[in-house]
Amino acid sequence: MRTARPLRFLGATALATLVMITFAPVAAGAGPAPEPSAPRTEVSVSSVDLDGPAVSTVKVTVKNTGPQRMRSLKVSFAGPVGWAVQPALTSVPGTFGVGATTAAEFRVQVPGKREGFTLRTFTATATYAGGDGAGSATATRTETNGAPLANLAAAYNNVGITDEGETGPGDYDGEGNSFSAQKLAAAGLEPSGRVEALGAELEWPGVAPGAKDNVAGAGQAIALSGRGGKLVFLGSGVTGGATGTATVYYTDGSSTSGSFGFPNWSFDPADAHGATLVASTDGRNRPDGYGNAGIAYRVFAHSVALDATKQVEFVVLPSNRNVHIFDMAIAS
Amino acid sequence: MPGIPAVSRRLLLGGALATGAVAVGAGPAQAKSAAQGSALPSPSPRRGKGQRPMFDVPFDIHETVRVGVIGIGNRGSGMGEGWAVVPGCRVTAVCDIRESRAKALADRIVALGKPRPAEYGGSTDAYTTMLKRDDIDLVYIATPWEFHHRQSRDALLAGKHVVVELPVATELDELWDLVDTSERTRRHLMLSENCSYGRNELAMLKMAHEGLFGDVTNGHGGYLHDLRDLLFSDTYYTDSWRRKWHTRSTASFYAMHGLAPVAAAMDINRGDRMTVLRATATEPKGLADYRERFIDRSHPSWKETYVNGDLVTCLIDTAKGRVIRAEHDVSSPRPYSRINSLAGSRGIFEDYAGTSSTGGRIYVEPDHSGHSWRDFDSYRKEFDHWLWRKIGDDAANNGGHGGMDYVLQWRTVQLMRAGLVPDIDVYDSAAWCSPVPLSVKSLAAGGRPVEIPDFTRGSWVNLRMGLDSRETDMPPVA
Repeated sequence: MRTARPLRFLGATALATLVMITFAPVAAGAGPAPEPSAPRTEVSVSSVDLDGPAVSTVKVTVKNTGPQRMRSLKVSFAGPVGWAVQPALTSVPGTFGVGATTAAEFRVQVPGKREGFTLRTFTATATYAGGDGAGSATATRTETNGAPLANLAAAYNNVGITDEGETGPGDYDGEGNSFSAQKLAAAGLEPSGRVEALGAELEWPGVAPGAKDNVAGAGQAIALSGRGGKLVFLGSGVTGGATGTATVYYTDGSSTSGSFGFPNWSFDPADAHGATLVASTDGRNRPDGYGNAGIAYRVFAHSVALDATKQVEFVVLPSNRNVHIFDMAIAS
Repeated sequence: MPGIPAVSRRLLLGGALATGAVAVGAGPAQAKSAAQGSALPSPSPRRGKGQRPMFDVPFDIHETVRVGVIGIGNRGSGMGEGWAVVPGCRVTAVCDIRESRAKALADRIVALGKPRPAEYGGSTDAYTTMLKRDDIDLVYIATPWEFHHRQSRDALLAGKHVVVELPVATELDELWDLVDTSERTRRHLMLSENCSYGRNELAMLKMAHEGLFGDVTNGHGGYLHDLRDLLFSDTYYTDSWRRKWHTRSTASFYAMHGLAPVAAAMDINRGDRMTVLRATATEPKGLADYRERFIDRSHPSWKETYVNGDLVTCLIDTAKGRVIRAEHDVSSPRPYSRINSLAGSRGIFEDYAGTSSTGGRIYVEPDHSGHSWRDFDSYRKEFDHWLWRKIGDDAANNGGHGGMDYVLQWRTVQLMRAGLVPDIDVYDSAAWCSPVPLSVKSLAAGGRPVEIPDFTRGSWVNLRMGLDSRETDMPPVA
């Protein structure tokens, strides 16, 4: 799990700004490792005018808080994937004394605004010699616009459960197959039923068979409130590579992110990607009716760690549609 | 045909490729590039003393945009009427070698309830008289290709802004000359690249800027249009000028309709640039075969030999490592396509391939998975350009080519009336048209790579606004 420390938070309103700074490991030959309590190089990214389409200017500020003079400073900057930035990397001439601040300007091509919730992340990395001796420091600034979806059900985009008497609506795996509602019930998974897994209390989707009942991951932002040590996901994977990163944003503007994955609903080892088996059903519903009896189709749980000291505000799901999620909940 | 300028040796099949002369003029940077990439160098003259770039130069505000039209064949005729119906625009003069055409267009403009424009014609130089008028702000040129450079240059020198049909010029030195003349005269020259204002093309551009395709790595475009019946028509292209180009040159004459939208989506000249071109050509079979089957033996075309390949393909590298494939084929039996494809690390768009109402199909992660195409419709709706949302209905009623012509004309008039920076400038125009001479050069050298000049003279690195513009209103008409 990657952690980040907030520098500033402007509020979780319609437009929120989250700024974080992280530190890279000491570069070989860059000097002695700083003491744990030693001041660190501060990198910050200015606000980004996202009223596009436009070419906006962004200022990256670097403050030498280390005990040595900073030299050979280079600053790189990147926006969301596919966004043009000019330049991508710039050298800052000169050297900078203890406590000195310098800045580099970048221009970024901002697209037109999109409706709904958007989350834009900008990353600046400074590499240098001297200073705090760490060799590099990175800051990210995340700007959000709009409100996350109210809950996971609002993001349901897939039909994963059907009645054995009407399998047509199902398409859990992209090939028209789905879980059998009858077989799930036999395994203890009934609509709105409680599911305990990895210390979390989850709920099986309270919808009728044949309705959208799960989320295929596409980077959706889901509102979630609570505090705890981990965030537990209930679901399974389709095809291969059902893994991804979930990013949890807290009310103080900081975030943590963690990777997790689910085994394929049928053929992977049950502990693939470190997942935990929750339920196993016999066979599946196919477009032409129930079939594949004798083959297990399964539901798993997995989790990512949270910062237990902070209040969760929303979660960004993995951008991988092979990851199917029926529910998520915070556990201690 | 009287008055048609001689086609230069560089455009002639088998004509001397001026590698020696170009190499002499090549600077150290070009020599280095050629050595590294085995690309034939292309000259890049220095900017003249006192000459300033035309980047981000807004038009002076024109309360009414007064247009002079040169060339009233099929294209000029339709566009001439198109200019007349744009709010705040008035066609003040029209010109064609054939005076009757000037009169006919003037009559139609009057029939639209607009003031009668002055008429010029009767000679190849009649347009120069028209250019002396002081009630023309913008000259629109729709003559045969061989006239474009000279007429554009003369119009710029007469203090007019210019919109010129494809290509703006057919020679590299002519393209440079238009860049320099625009910079010297402080007048804008814009390629009349209507397809860059196509609804799908603009949505594709906006999606690229949004990052939906991830980091864009490649794009394909072109002009694949079976023109055989028109090329052999005795009335469509005056004096069969377009067919005659196929007798004297091997070139990608007209790939800009597909190239330009892809280039725009890659921010060519606005953060990236085209650096190297390689061309291939198939055998010239289509026109001769068509003539054999459909054209009477008494037709003058039987004295012609067609030399341009049916399918001329240009592979273009960019400074950021992207690749563009630009195709040109007007002599083969096939349905129409401009290809319009853009792809990157997270997805792909293809036009002319889907079954949806937009004609496009798409596959982008994380929205899609499972290796199957999706309809473009919902994306076109979400990323619809403001121009189409604002004037799409007018475009459908007034403009040719699905409304693209009207959008181009409306936007050009709006830019001039509001005093805005053009979406397409002389640098875009030159770059997009450079595959015409460069394909000749590459094909003559067996498909060797050739350098694409940097018409911006180094300013391509700067991000600039272009076709993905901010919504503005047309100033009210008094």
